[in-house]
Amino acid sequence: MEKIQITLNINDKLCEVMVYHNDTLLEVLRDELDLTGSKESCGEGVCGSCTIHMDGKPVRSCLTLAMEAVGTKIRTVEGLANGDELSDLQQSFIDHGAVQCGFCTSGMLMSADALLKNNPKPDEKTVRKALGGNICRCTGYAKIVEAVAHACNPQDDCPDCKTDSKVRE
Amino acid sequence: MSKKNSEFSVVGKRIPKLDAAQKAMGRAEYIQDIKVPGMLYGRILYSKYASAKIIKIDISKAVALPGVHTVLPGEDVPEKMKMGFYKDNPPIKKDKVCSFRDEVAAVAAINPEIAKKALDLIEIEYEEQIGIFDPEKAMEKDAPLVHEHTKSNVLKLPWNIHYGDVDKGEKESAFVVEDRFTTTGVTHCCMGTSGALALFDATENLTVYTNTQIPSLAQKDFLETLKVLGLKNKRVRVIKPIIGGGFGSKLDTYAYEHVAILLAYKCRKPVKIVFDRVEEFKATSTRQPTVTYIKQGCDKNGKLTFRDIRMVLDNGAYTSWGATTPTVMMMPISSLYRVKNVRYDAKCVYTNNTYSQAMRGYGNPQATFAIESNIDMLAEEAGIDPIEFRRINQNVPNETTPQDFKITTCGLAECINEVEKELKSGTAKEKGVGVGMASLIHVGGGARIYKSDGCGAILKMDDYGKVDIFTGGTDMGQGMDNITAQIVAEELGLSAEDINVVHTDTDICPWDVGAHASRSTFVAGNAALGAAKKVKQKIQEFASKFFDVPAKEIQFKDKLVFVPGDQEKSMPIDKLLRKAHFSQNGTMLMADYFYDPDNESFRKDFKCNLSATYTFGVHGVKVKVDEETGKVEVLDYIAAHDVGQAINPLLLEGQVYGGVLMGLGYALTEEVVQKNGENMNANFRDYKLFTAKDAVNIKAPVFETADEAGPFGAKGIGEPGCVPTAPAVANAVYDAVGVRIKDLPITPEKVLAALKEKNG
Amino acid sequence: MRLPRFEYLEPSDLEGVLNLLATQGDDTKILAGGTDLLVRMKKGLLKPKTLISLKALNELSYINEEDGCIKIGARTPIADIIASDLIQKEAFALFEACEKIGAISIQHYRGTIGGNILQDNRCIHYNQSEFHRSGRQPCHKDGGKICYARDEADRCNSTCQSDGATALMALGASITLAKKGTERVVEIANFYTTDGIMPFAMESSELLTEIVISIQGGKSSYKRLAYRSAIDYPIVCAGVFLSASDTKKDEIEDARIVVGAMGRSPLFLVQESFSLKGKNLNDTEVFKKVADSSMNSASTFAVHNVGSTLEYRCVMVSEMVLQALKGAAQAVVAAKG
Ligand SMILES: Cc1cc2nc3c(=O)[nH]c(=O)nc-3n(C[C@H](O)[C@H](O)[C@H](O)COP(=O)(O)OP(=O)(O)OC[C@H]3O[C@@H](n4cnc5c(N)ncnc54)[C@H](O)[C@@H]3O)c2cc1C
Ligand code: SF4
Ligand code: FES
Ligand code: FES
Repeated sequence: MEKIQITLNINDKLCEVMVYHNDTLLEVLRDELDLTGSKESCGEGVCGSCTIHMDGKPVRSCLTLAMEAVGTKIRTVEGLANGDELSDLQQSFIDHGAVQCGFCTSGMLMSADALLKNNPKPDEKTVRKALGGNICRCTGYAKIVEAVAHACNPQDDCPDCKTDSKVRE
Repeated sequence: MSKKNSEFSVVGKRIPKLDAAQKAMGRAEYIQDIKVPGMLYGRILYSKYASAKIIKIDISKAVALPGVHTVLPGEDVPEKMKMGFYKDNPPIKKDKVCSFRDEVAAVAAINPEIAKKALDLIEIEYEEQIGIFDPEKAMEKDAPLVHEHTKSNVLKLPWNIHYGDVDKGEKESAFVVEDRFTTTGVTHCCMGTSGALALFDATENLTVYTNTQIPSLAQKDFLETLKVLGLKNKRVRVIKPIIGGGFGSKLDTYAYEHVAILLAYKCRKPVKIVFDRVEEFKATSTRQPTVTYIKQGCDKNGKLTFRDIRMVLDNGAYTSWGATTPTVMMMPISSLYRVKNVRYDAKCVYTNNTYSQAMRGYGNPQATFAIESNIDMLAEEAGIDPIEFRRINQNVPNETTPQDFKITTCGLAECINEVEKELKSGTAKEKGVGVGMASLIHVGGGARIYKSDGCGAILKMDDYGKVDIFTGGTDMGQGMDNITAQIVAEELGLSAEDINVVHTDTDICPWDVGAHASRSTFVAGNAALGAAKKVKQKIQEFASKFFDVPAKEIQFKDKLVFVPGDQEKSMPIDKLLRKAHFSQNGTMLMADYFYDPDNESFRKDFKCNLSATYTFGVHGVKVKVDEETGKVEVLDYIAAHDVGQAINPLLLEGQVYGGVLMGLGYALTEEVVQKNGENMNANFRDYKLFTAKDAVNIKAPVFETADEAGPFGAKGIGEPGCVPTAPAVANAVYDAVGVRIKDLPITPEKVLAALKEKNG
Repeated sequence: MRLPRFEYLEPSDLEGVLNLLATQGDDTKILAGGTDLLVRMKKGLLKPKTLISLKALNELSYINEEDGCIKIGARTPIADIIASDLIQKEAFALFEACEKIGAISIQHYRGTIGGNILQDNRCIHYNQSEFHRSGRQPCHKDGGKICYARDEADRCNSTCQSDGATALMALGASITLAKKGTERVVEIANFYTTDGIMPFAMESSELLTEIVISIQGGKSSYKRLAYRSAIDYPIVCAGVFLSASDTKKDEIEDARIVVGAMGRSPLFLVQESFSLKGKNLNDTEVFKKVADSSMNSASTFAVHNVGSTLEYRCVMVSEMVLQALKGAAQAVVAAKG
């Protein structure tokens, strides 16, 4: 089977790319488009490291065909920041120590970002549920959960919520 | 006297991880992300049997496949090429396989798909042999031998100690409790899988990009490999990409690294091998599964009289550094609580299982599980409250233990009090709810397992007041980079962002023994501090001429060099540096420092002061046991540690939280299921790591005992989080429903079966 | 992990899908969310030549109330089912089941209810990598003649771990299977074969289009046991439907007990269900007896092939059934006020 050309809308840019029918979106992002922020850790839908947004919904790019992504809006971790200006969520991850080895981070961010779009002030339980499909081996999740809960809802009694983000609200 | 927290400007501050932003933007480069021109993809073929002779191997079809550059069978690997602590493990096996993980061939091809196809085309004829999978059975006289040239499956390693007189201690005991405890193999599960990229330059010098925790020792291993390839006098450069988790998994060099080198050499092209998840599960090591027979006694007042432990460790088919974990197990065995009469004997036994390796805690979790479970049993036997029992026997500062460990600072008492407060707070006892605790001792100031426990650092300052520090230390997410930066910044009156920590390249970074034994903060921290002090002194000398005051009056803060109390005598550090640089006989500020802690190697009887200081901690947990399903739910967790000084509380908490959750997995759900040596749960669905939904919030109070030897008083804290977790949970389960689970993990089926037995 | 090669087709409407299904052979598979299919393909468990994507078929994504029934399009994402007030009100067991599938953040937006019902059975000996399986004789499901889970078994006893199917069977749902030119409706309870190799009584040219649950004025409950609270299949689960008699408030009129993850399909326990008729809704003792009897009935089907121990899973049948019975009974009592 030959490669065919498709057009994908990734991070608000149209990209033409040659793919095989059996290429996953993750493979195309990483290998063809050099968007290596999305990670493969299990390749079979369990760990969530490959999470991206398709039309605003978090999906696993290791179990999504590139062909299926045609005509949808894809967002990857590279598209979370506005240029070099980090999103509140990214900043919150940094400030709260939610990043250790960082391998799970992009998937976590994408799952969390999707949650915050619908629910900017989630409680802890909601956050834990929303991140249930993202495995992290380093952090024990506590700081990730905190970072998500506080991203758009900074807490005065949290030592890691930045004062300027407290005003940012 | 050490400083108080408020007197520091950078140390003790919650400074986010220096590389967090690039990671949060998806820009950090892991081995998975690295591509170089002309790169080929390597892949390894593994054995289909746990134990078999290789009769014949036919690679012709694989060689003929278009896109394949080379195929490497065992016979093409130089005979002398061996890996591991014992050098008993060739990177590709030729005549015989001893485990399912055994490498039997490898290929390099233009893409991963072809590489995989090529492996399918390699034909191997095996003659299956009887394997042995239970270490205790493997010790029996007529057990099949894993390696025929050895007379027995028991490794000839001298792991036994006897201090004081255990038999006498037992006779003098009012209460004695003995039992058998077992732990299973668990694995690191780094989210970033293993991988390496090897390339030779035109003059056959080698560069290896690899996920390693031991760049300098890896460099040495790779040099050996070059030597057996006949490449003498060549250079090896080891570059560490950003590491997607370590936890001890990368404390040796592995077949994939050596095979990448061999393939790259054979095709004269860069070759990268990256594991997929199944391979990561099947071809990396587990923590040593253990069987522990323990006996402890106390007098009628609850004072420990003796501790007698015999242990069998499943070594697996080859011998990596994991076989040396009993040396670390000796630490809690001889020195957790005050006990004069101690005996310990450990046998590492070859089996046809995958070979075991270091994992966070380096043996300490297994030993502590047996000791601390058994302590609770002994306390009950003696009729003493378990917290009180521990208090009676707790370690104290400035004492030498039977193994000659010199405990200087020790915050165990404070930790016990804190955990007690937490556990005893709250409401009256509910049905099925219980609390448990367990303590830990761990090396906090390096551990002289290798000939040198040192780390080097080179520091240079530029014309803008910025620092580059080249350290031997390794960051794998735990935060060595921050610790180094914060220590240097504190010393030179800068902020952490002014410090660029380079730790990725053996061409520019000095030697270090590796990121193990929770030593990075202490050892790499002291190395950085040493270099910073030297530079500071040079600046002081220069400024002294400039300001015309004695050098020692000159101070550093907020990027200023100044003489306190004299407004005139103050200058931004960058300006001063430029003055030093751009003047007649100008100078650049640079310094190097090699720090090797004042700890000792084991003597013949294993006595020595292993670490320059020791970290203590106590964990307490409240669980709820569902008596219908046997499920254990963790309600609250507190992990109190004596950390000397928290250089960065934010990262420290991260280490503790992560460690505790790993420990809870060890306690409750994680297990590499091996069926006759074959891993049956090589995926994240069947190997049960906790998710965010299962995880609990953890309290992590710290006590700062400001250790004289540590950088700004700090001790290591990388591993302790997962050391006493399992026994704390086991003790809590007992408290909740009266059943003692002695075999990890504490699964619902074990709890339910025990409940059934108890209730008749 | 690479997928094997195939041709990807994306028909624009239902007719297009049915036409393709009619002409393509057995080598064709429907791709809904892909969260089951693509995983199996990555492991080399199947290598279809063609995948027909349902991506364009928005017409198969809906949840409606019609003629006293809930109608759910086969391609409806799990997330929509969880979010549906109608499902929460009238088919609570399905809500509970869907909530537990995989993990909300991800599976639920791609995974569909149709795919959930039609996901293949699982077995720890079968759902392994291609290399793992290549090192030994193939088992029944892999095209061979032996079974690793039960010695001497003449057929495959792989386990159906679908949460959705168990709940739907308890709700007495039926499904619509369309084929070019025709359509048939089957009760889920009658949809299964007796062989784990191909657990569904369905032709390869058929498409699952709709799931229908009739609203019967009762209440349902679904309970499951897994090691973790996310990304974990059930090792035992139970769905229960109970309705009370119109005349005697506390009396059970109709009951359906279904046990999942214990056999080749969800197990509708006819006898146990029937025995509840006329019993009091608050009679825990009766529930306990029925739960124990459920355990005995379900145990005969199970083999040791989805982790945990067989013994434990059997004992837990009784607990899950009991919990689901209590859950449903409470809901009925509460609804009656
Ligand atoms: C990490 C993980 C955890 C999971 N946990 C659970 C769990 O706890 N419980 C559970 O029940 N499931 C679980 N699943 C399985 C799966 O994700 C769900 O069952 C999901 O609902 C399947 O839907 P899908 O649309 O993705 O199916 P697909 O993979 O697209 O399809 C599944 C099968 O059904 C066929 N098919 C799909 N739709 C149709 C149709 N309309 N007509 C004919 N054939 C069709 C496909 O050809 C394929 O054979 C899990 C999966 C993953 C990856
Ligand atoms: S039950 Fe037996 S035949 Fe079926 S998949 Fe498992 S091992 Fe194979
Ligand atoms: S890599 Fe996609 S879920 Fe793990
Ligand atoms: S930060 Fe390492 S896996 Fe999450």
